[in-house]
Amino acid sequence: MSFTDVLLLMFGAVLVENFIFSKFYGCCPFLGVSEKPATALGMGMAVTFVMTISSAATWAVYYLILEPLGLQYLKTIAFILIIAALVQLIEMFLRRFVPALYAALGIYLPLITTNCAVLGAALVNIQKGYGFGASVAYGFAAALGFTLAIVIFAGVRVRLQFADPPRAFRGFPLTLIAAGLLAMAFSGFAGIRF
Amino acid sequence: MKEKLKGCLRQLGEGLFSNNPVLIQLLGLCPTLAVTTSVNNAVGMGLAATAVLICSNLFISLLRRFIPRQVRIAAYIVIISGFVTSVELLMKAYFPALDRALGLFIPLIVVNCIILARAEAFASKNGPLASVVDGLATGLGFMLALVLIASVREILGAGTFWGMPLFGEGFKPAIIFLLPSGAFLTLGFLIAGVQKICNIRDDRRKLEGTDPEKEELA
Amino acid sequence: MELLMKILIPVGVFAALGLVLGVMLAIASRLFAVHVDERVPEVLECLPGANCGGCGYSGCAALAEAIVSGRAAPTACTVGGGACAKAIGEVMGIEVGEVVRMRAQVMCSGTAEFAQKKYVYAGAADCIAAANLGGGDKLCPNGCIGLGTCVSKCPFGAISVVDGVAVVNYRKCEGCGVCVAACPKQLIALIPYDSRHWVGCKSVDKGALVRSYCDVGCIGCQLCSKVCEADAIAVENFCASIDYARCTGCDKCVEKCPRKIIWSARKQGRGLVISREELENN
Repeated sequence: MSFTDVLLLMFGAVLVENFIFSKFYGCCPFLGVSEKPATALGMGMAVTFVMTISSAATWAVYYLILEPLGLQYLKTIAFILIIAALVQLIEMFLRRFVPALYAALGIYLPLITTNCAVLGAALVNIQKGYGFGASVAYGFAAALGFTLAIVIFAGVRVRLQFADPPRAFRGFPLTLIAAGLLAMAFSGFAGIRF
Repeated sequence: MKEKLKGCLRQLGEGLFSNNPVLIQLLGLCPTLAVTTSVNNAVGMGLAATAVLICSNLFISLLRRFIPRQVRIAAYIVIISGFVTSVELLMKAYFPALDRALGLFIPLIVVNCIILARAEAFASKNGPLASVVDGLATGLGFMLALVLIASVREILGAGTFWGMPLFGEGFKPAIIFLLPSGAFLTLGFLIAGVQKICNIRDDRRKLEGTDPEKEELA
Repeated sequence: MELLMKILIPVGVFAALGLVLGVMLAIASRLFAVHVDERVPEVLECLPGANCGGCGYSGCAALAEAIVSGRAAPTACTVGGGACAKAIGEVMGIEVGEVVRMRAQVMCSGTAEFAQKKYVYAGAADCIAAANLGGGDKLCPNGCIGLGTCVSKCPFGAISVVDGVAVVNYRKCEGCGVCVAACPKQLIALIPYDSRHWVGCKSVDKGALVRSYCDVGCIGCQLCSKVCEADAIAVENFCASIDYARCTGCDKCVEKCPRKIIWSARKQGRGLVISREELENN
């Protein structure tokens, strides 16, 4: 894969195949941690951090251990184990060496283990047969797309607080409908083929 | 025996309606939004999740005394992912078309919050039989919600139900319902409907004077 | 034999994978160990755990850390009050003085009946939004807008809007102070939980002007400060305020006030009011 291909892959992952608005990976944190733009950005950064590293780690484990032994069918279990351990490791590492970053991202890290975007990216990498570089680039770009979506959505939700909808629509339904409108905007990118 | 049966029935009712995992508890939204483009997919996803839920609940309930507290979440995830892999392989072998349609969302059942939530909240505290019933009830509730959403999306978005065309040639489907935004909108309106029903019920209770909140205020 | 290998290889791989990851985590936890003061969880135990944010920290855990590191006082949690501060003091090994339990009080009496409006507001149901539109729909520039920004912010569900003015249900109020920070008119104050008197107005306009738009606004006539024997009432900027350290609760100012806006709850058993109706019914 040439450099241009990788760049196009990344653009596609951020806008066209946005993890939330076209693939629905990571909807739980998207709807749960998007009340304020600041916390949304924190969550997005934590996901970006973990997803980039986990893409590299899962690629290595799959092609260096599982494939030579013919154990491809066990990839889900292996990946979830690696991601869980990795999140814990990153948490400890940040706490010790980058306390400022830990203070900013710390509370979101445990939530990431069960974020389907991370496992989803690892599985997409294998399914599409990306090389090491492309896998890491894809993981990073997909997480960037997740961050973009969640931060924009948090901006929308801040304004939704002032809305006065009918009683039945208060809370979650209104949030979902706003997300639907945002998804409509993002589906405009689907017309662009990289 | 009769008492036990009654308890099971109540559990089923809770899982299906009053405590529906998707429409009331708002859990497991990723697969809910993603696979509900057709009723066929929804039923497949619902059955897969139900199977995993029943098995994982049973095993976690059996092992609940042996799993140390500190590593319980990791242990649950490993147990769940074992069953998910089995279901995935079975689907690949016997329902290849469905497997292709559901794509990565079958392995992603591992990180579905409904299953982990039931393991943590129910199976780790209750006996095997109750846990199996709970898994069945929650799984069926999940499937019910999926089928509801999928029916709306498939009928409006494709003009079909379970692949069968419902309307004549002249019908032009609203494709927006099959697109991602349609998923968000449909779920939003469905939950609004559920909230409306809850509101009406609460109002009625208030009128009858049996509202627990009101008593607390007074 | 082949079948056995088919089972043994995955088992072996996963045992190895688990072992490697486990050892890695164990080493990492040693290597990256951070010295955490063992008093932090103990202090956290003492805190109420409501995570209301009234102390200015992002939650009870953040406050516990701040207390242990000395950045916050052991008395910083107003919700927990005296008992909580004492328990924290024991953990920290310091004497803690008496902490007065506080409650929030909305300093406005201008309900729809008494305060006049300057325009019909039909915008977003939020006080901050309304305050940006010419300072709200009331003619009084200091009056309660009554759209309930404090209601939605209150972590204990203690505030409700009655007749266009927010009232605090003292039975539910924990005195965290979140509403004090939320009110765009700075109309909510924390006063001692047991105090029986408060001035239900924060208007700083001159008397004649206040009379023109509100029937229950303080006109700064100073009758209350003159009648007070304990010298507990001060009138500044045409508005009376009570010094709770001095107030003896004698009720003289309540009788004297021509605008009837010094509230007293003496006649009621518990001595505190939650709404106008409750006061008027007694």
